[in-house]
Amino acid sequence: MHEYSVASELINALLPQVETIKGQIVGVILKKGELRILSDQALANAFELLAKGTPLEGARLLVELVPVSVSCSSCGYKGAVDHVSDEAFHFAVPILSCPKCQSEVDVQTGRELFVNRLTVQTPSETDSE
Amino acid sequence: MHNVHVNGEDILKRQLDLAGANRRLLEERKVTAISVMGAIGSGKTSLIERMIDRLTGRGLQVGTIAADSAGDDDHQRFLSHGAASINLNTQDDCHLDAHTVDHAMKHLPLDKLDILFIENVGNLICPADFPLGTVNEVVVISTTEGDDMVRKHPKIFAQTDILVLNKIDLADAVGVDPQLVVSDYSRINPHGKAVLTDARHETGIDDLLEALGFECTNTQ
Repeated sequence: MHEYSVASELINALLPQVETIKGQIVGVILKKGELRILSDQALANAFELLAKGTPLEGARLLVELVPVSVSCSSCGYKGAVDHVSDEAFHFAVPILSCPKCQSEVDVQTGRELFVNRLTVQTPSETDSE
Repeated sequence: MHNVHVNGEDILKRQLDLAGANRRLLEERKVTAISVMGAIGSGKTSLIERMIDRLTGRGLQVGTIAADSAGDDDHQRFLSHGAASINLNTQDDCHLDAHTVDHAMKHLPLDKLDILFIENVGNLICPADFPLGTVNEVVVISTTEGDDMVRKHPKIFAQTDILVLNKIDLADAVGVDPQLVVSDYSRINPHGKAVLTDARHETGIDDLLEALGFECTNTQ
């Protein structure tokens, strides 16, 4: 259950940035790398609980997945990786290896965890909807 | 409704920065730090004990950080093997983080150490998202947990550089095929190293040390 630690870091990082926002923050869009081992539901629950009493109270945490991409120093490949989607694994698992030459790779994306935008509702927007 | 863009800094940046600071400190003091993660009861402590014995036998100074929710059993075991050890109780936390490791390191004679083993809390999932600043990470599982461990936690093992399957002496008794674990692992992690060990009977310890980059001196 390290989602609570992560949600706590997320809220602490966001609070100074939302002080000047006018209106109700209704959504927090979190970009989560495919390699992160975090439950979306547990994160959302932790966020809801820890946001109470802050300007983020009532906002929904929405998770958008960032797929793995790599670069290969052996053949110069840059891009997506293959996945093992064998039934035994139940979901597709990214293979951290070059899909062209099978060499070791550097992970370029897939480990991120950041909020890149918020959705905000102001009183005038509520009137016009 | 409208969108407001915010500073897209990594949420765990503070953790990454602290881990980076730990790594720099360890490099400065010329200490090779190894993080040992794994399931409860997989044999992390026994493996570290065996490695302490071999490395001190080669004239190296070994330190340990023993993390557990409570108690100091592992810490006492490391002390009895002559390691400079610090006990770290995480209480209700399910993982170590770089900040806690930084505090623990302040109580260790880093200048005198060559190697530092950091034994994480027994937990396969949570520690994976919290880098500590070590140069190597090992994930320990054991045959008694079944031969489907890699299939049950594929995302962890897809990112694990060194996998140790311990208690191979018990494989037959629990009806587990170690090769199945190794083949599952190499399918999702073709560049990872799998090491089979039996810490109680000292099997595979040199292979593990070699996987960690310590030259084998064939003293055993």
